[in-house]
Amino acid sequence: MSGRARVRARGIACRPSTPEIGRTQASPSPASVDVSDKDTPSSSGYMGTSRISQKMVFLGDSDSTQKDKDGVSSGDVGCTFLGRGGRIRREFMDLGACTREKLAHVRDCKTGSSGIPVKLVTNLFNLDLPQDWQLYQYYVTYIPDLESRRLRIALLYSHSELFNKAKVFDGAILFLLEKLEEKVTELSSETQRGETVKIVITLTRELPSSSPVCFQVFSIIFKKILKKLSMYQIGRNYYNPSEPVEIPQYKLTLWPGYSVSVSQFESSLLFSADVCYKVLRSETVLEFMTDLYHKTGLSSFTQACEKELLGLIVLTRYNNKTYRIDDIDWSVRPTHTFQKRDGAEISYVDYYKQQYDITLSDLNQPVLVSLLKSKRNDNTEARIAHLIPELCFLTGLTSQAISDFQLMKALAEVTHLSPLGRQQRLARLADDIQRNKDARFELETWGLHFGCQMSLTGRIVPLEKILMQDQVFCQPMSAADWSKDVRTCKILSAPSLNKWLIICNNRAEHVNESFLNCLRRVGSSMGFNVDYPKMIKVQEDPAAFLRAIQQHVDADVQLVMCILSSNQKSYYDSIKKYMSSDCPVPSQCVLTRTLNKQGMMMSVATKIAMQMTCKLGGELWAVEIPLKSLMVVGIDVCKDALNKEMAVVGFVASINTRITRWYSRCILQRTTTNVADCLKVLMIGALNKWYQYNHGLPARIIVYRDGVGDGQLKTLIEYEVPQLLSSVAESSSNTSSKLSVIVVRKKCVPRFFMEMNRTLQNPPLGTVVDSEATRPDWYDFYLISQVAHQGTVNPTYYNVIYDNNGLKPDHMQRLTFKLCHLYYNWSGLIRIPAPCQYAHKLTFLVAQSIHKEPSLELANSLFYL
Amino acid sequence: MDDNNIQILIEEVWRKAQDSAFPGSFQVKMLQCESVVDRNFEEVTSTEIKFKPPLYRQRYQFVKDLVDQHEPKKVADLGCGDTSLLWMLKFHKCLELLVGVDTNEEKLRRKEYKLSPLVGDYLKPRERTLTVTLYHGSAVERDSRLLGFDLITCIELIEHLDSEDLATFPKVVFGFLSPAMVVISTPNSEFNPLFPAVTLRDSDHRFEWNRMQFQTWALDVANLYNYSVEFTGVGEPPAGAENVGYCTQIGIFRKNMAKAAELCVPEQHGEHVYKVVFTATYPSLQQEKYRQYAVVNEVISQVYDMRRDLLERLKLQDDRDFADTSADAGTSEAPCQCFQPVLTRFSANMEKTPKPFCVGNVFYVPLERLFSLPKVKHLCINIEMLKTLIADTVMLNSDGSAVMVDIHDEDNDD
Repeated sequence: MSGRARVRARGIACRPSTPEIGRTQASPSPASVDVSDKDTPSSSGYMGTSRISQKMVFLGDSDSTQKDKDGVSSGDVGCTFLGRGGRIRREFMDLGACTREKLAHVRDCKTGSSGIPVKLVTNLFNLDLPQDWQLYQYYVTYIPDLESRRLRIALLYSHSELFNKAKVFDGAILFLLEKLEEKVTELSSETQRGETVKIVITLTRELPSSSPVCFQVFSIIFKKILKKLSMYQIGRNYYNPSEPVEIPQYKLTLWPGYSVSVSQFESSLLFSADVCYKVLRSETVLEFMTDLYHKTGLSSFTQACEKELLGLIVLTRYNNKTYRIDDIDWSVRPTHTFQKRDGAEISYVDYYKQQYDITLSDLNQPVLVSLLKSKRNDNTEARIAHLIPELCFLTGLTSQAISDFQLMKALAEVTHLSPLGRQQRLARLADDIQRNKDARFELETWGLHFGCQMSLTGRIVPLEKILMQDQVFCQPMSAADWSKDVRTCKILSAPSLNKWLIICNNRAEHVNESFLNCLRRVGSSMGFNVDYPKMIKVQEDPAAFLRAIQQHVDADVQLVMCILSSNQKSYYDSIKKYMSSDCPVPSQCVLTRTLNKQGMMMSVATKIAMQMTCKLGGELWAVEIPLKSLMVVGIDVCKDALNKEMAVVGFVASINTRITRWYSRCILQRTTTNVADCLKVLMIGALNKWYQYNHGLPARIIVYRDGVGDGQLKTLIEYEVPQLLSSVAESSSNTSSKLSVIVVRKKCVPRFFMEMNRTLQNPPLGTVVDSEATRPDWYDFYLISQVAHQGTVNPTYYNVIYDNNGLKPDHMQRLTFKLCHLYYNWSGLIRIPAPCQYAHKLTFLVAQSIHKEPSLELANSLFYL
Repeated sequence: MDDNNIQILIEEVWRKAQDSAFPGSFQVKMLQCESVVDRNFEEVTSTEIKFKPPLYRQRYQFVKDLVDQHEPKKVADLGCGDTSLLWMLKFHKCLELLVGVDTNEEKLRRKEYKLSPLVGDYLKPRERTLTVTLYHGSAVERDSRLLGFDLITCIELIEHLDSEDLATFPKVVFGFLSPAMVVISTPNSEFNPLFPAVTLRDSDHRFEWNRMQFQTWALDVANLYNYSVEFTGVGEPPAGAENVGYCTQIGIFRKNMAKAAELCVPEQHGEHVYKVVFTATYPSLQQEKYRQYAVVNEVISQVYDMRRDLLERLKLQDDRDFADTSADAGTSEAPCQCFQPVLTRFSANMEKTPKPFCVGNVFYVPLERLFSLPKVKHLCINIEMLKTLIADTVMLNSDGSAVMVDIHDEDNDD
């Protein structure tokens, strides 16, 4: 079954980073479905309601902060200047972790040398500052103390000493470009009734432009600039509402925009910009309900309505606020009255007419109910808001919409900009900033100069040969997909499949026969011996499947295949749950639909045969790994889909020197952050397994850690790395294994374009960037290991946070690239190292379907593929 | 420093304190010494007099009602302060130009983005174009951009003017700007004794007039500039003190012979003394671009809805033929809830028009049918216009009489 089919079977979309969606299907043209894989998934905002909801809440925030024109939130006490919403702040927090200085071998040079140099254009722009540019941070106190931030600001701003000076003030902390004459300045203001307020401005810090604090000030400056360019802020990004892209058949409106930031890169301060899109829905809740009514009919209408709408975030058209729909009150009509704050009774119709000159067209519509979060933490009863469906716009995409292939395709056509298209947008932004008078003035006030777009030199490392059985090396035509190249080769090893079951419903019989023949044929050509299975026919319901499994599975059964006619998530979930913990036997679910595809039988069968091999513990292919005693580990952490308090930690470690066999474990832990505290158990388990197979411990261990959020870097260094180190130390009494820990980020700020034939293209596979766009305090590099058929490729970002292996940067980069070849669910390169992708696949299965720890009996096979 | 500014801020503090009742001796102190009555202050300052809704709101509501009643297209608020009134007015559909003028640029800047179009304004554009502009300037300066207005409001403005400015004010507003209607509000000093120990309600007030003083001034102005004036007010006096009149007195001035005045061409004198602080134009269906979006969106979503209905009917037919279960076709009774969406899709008019049809794998919807959709009809004068607006985005058949779409989406399998 194709990757996407399975994604559908679960009824939810993969995380934007997973290559499954476009990659692993048995399709001749993976390009056509590559929707959520690359290209601004983060910013286009269509990846799921939960994320959208966060964004939209932000939107509410932004509305309220627009009141103060600086948009700086209150940093009441202390010296930290708090950014709004916390997100930007967390990003900058990461910059405080200076890991490179502890890594002696890369302190002077962290760049590699192998490969062919390639000139790349970036989405980074120079931001020039005078040599001695500094920001002066002051702490401002008021005597008597004033509670109101706005009053504080107004009092301070009215002083002529600060007039016309470049300044940012949040009510407590003041940043000035020019130093005040005195270290402590005292000013005095008089309120109207003769009360004198003393203002004391004390210098606390002098900040160089490379300080993370300055980046926040720069963000505020650019926020002003982009607003001057008539951009509309939603969340952290800026959109241009006057040039919308409409997708009328899905009632969607896309606003093109930019996400921008300023921070210190390797040698200079750079402004980065990327194109993004905001997905808005031009549909009101009432229109949606009317539509639904036509679809479902009256009998199930209310039920369907509640199912579709509850939990969604809506945007009210009159005040731009967002609310979550918690309930629908069918007994209340717009003609009913409510009590205004001043106590007067008024009907909803009259209220909206009076307040906003809006005439409601449908007086029979129900009202939406939203529980309001109390800003104060007291015990007052939760307040509720009644909203009129006609006045609420839907936001984000429903899960139904995300699984709508046509819709996502229509979205992708707009949002996936080619490198050239992207560059044109960037150039326009730069141009707008440089031409706009107000924008220029703002920059000049702060002594900034918006410079040119940065180019740099990357390297293309050599492509890998794929090692098949009998020392056959295969140099694929395309590293993106070598399925054709290896078709004639035998896979490395495969246990023969002697005793197995196929469970299917009565209708699918004729399909099964031809499929089975096909499976045996492709199996034998790849060296995977498949015997005839025992066929069990059951009724079409999950309970019947489970009963059949219980009845027929015994100790000798190697694998159970379930042929499902419906792609309902519950079927898949119940089977997977049972087969991975209660009755640990590898299982393979296939949709009848997949088997019915005309002319696709061979490729479908090949794909399934490969997955089955892996589930039985077979090995498909390898690449040459020069290090002889190396264990690679992939860790991913995500939240459980049902219980958000549970984090699912997936841990996959190689257990042979060829890096073709894996030990996979998953632990559920109760936590609110995505930080793992069970790594010791997992690491020791993996080392024991390694010992068992290799009669010794690995000389080197390299851990790739995925699923790290902004601002978690320090926690990782302080909390996870020590767990790994101590388990390595405890496993051996004499020399312990060397350890490297690398944080893998699928989303990163820079984009790279390659100039070729007077146009721009995506850089080729194997492109490494380890200078200029990197960070001075980190041992980091970018690697392009995926193909973007549509749109602009996203480089993967690697940050080595701990390393006593002492490998040369060159070797670290190439090893990482090699590992991107080893994901057995896709015969081609993937965007992250295989162990990470395995760990991701495992956590995904557990978080979405199983919700408990899979049996250890399965740990030696890739049962979750 | 600007007292007025601080005044507002102090009120803010107070309002917050009221809302949350958080402890803080400072607020309480402020409260006691600030026994003035202005803007949003009344409801809390005095224990005796509480206006409900607050007096400032009553003043705004008064203007809103006036706008509702007279539907002016161009409205200016002189001394707009923090632009609250403008914000309330911007929702009125009749407005095309909304201008605020104030001498405090800082205050204008602080709230400027509040007057920007909202997401919803882009998603569902207004019928008429609305431009909102904020100027830094004074009511006693002449700026030709304020000529030709239907309504100019001066809410609690004149009492802040010194005698010199007060003398210039009518020359500018009535003589030069000469709008069809002027609304002036100012405190009624006869009401003041009802407040505990108050001389003037705000320290920036140069004077507070009684009814006689205000009306004399107003009638003089009206006579001089050929206006008629009518007096009213907001803030009813408490029982037993009816004789003091409204707390805020208001004069509504209407220009006599309004017809003749319209002949005067605005912008005749090119004096631009005000500084533009902020300006925003709201998207509207008057603008070709948004009209086109609206038409295309409506047409395409309707076409796809019709196609879906057709497919569902076919599928239903299929299923029935297949399963042969026609017995259970009757719809079940409605559940207790009785919300039924208004059926806009099948209007009587529409039934008369040619139906959508299928030829091969192509689904056709005649433009005539689309034109009968109320929304489309509202946006397009005739079928030709409909055709022009959608021609770039949808496929039309050879004679341009119908929209064409494939009956099935292109193969949605891999």
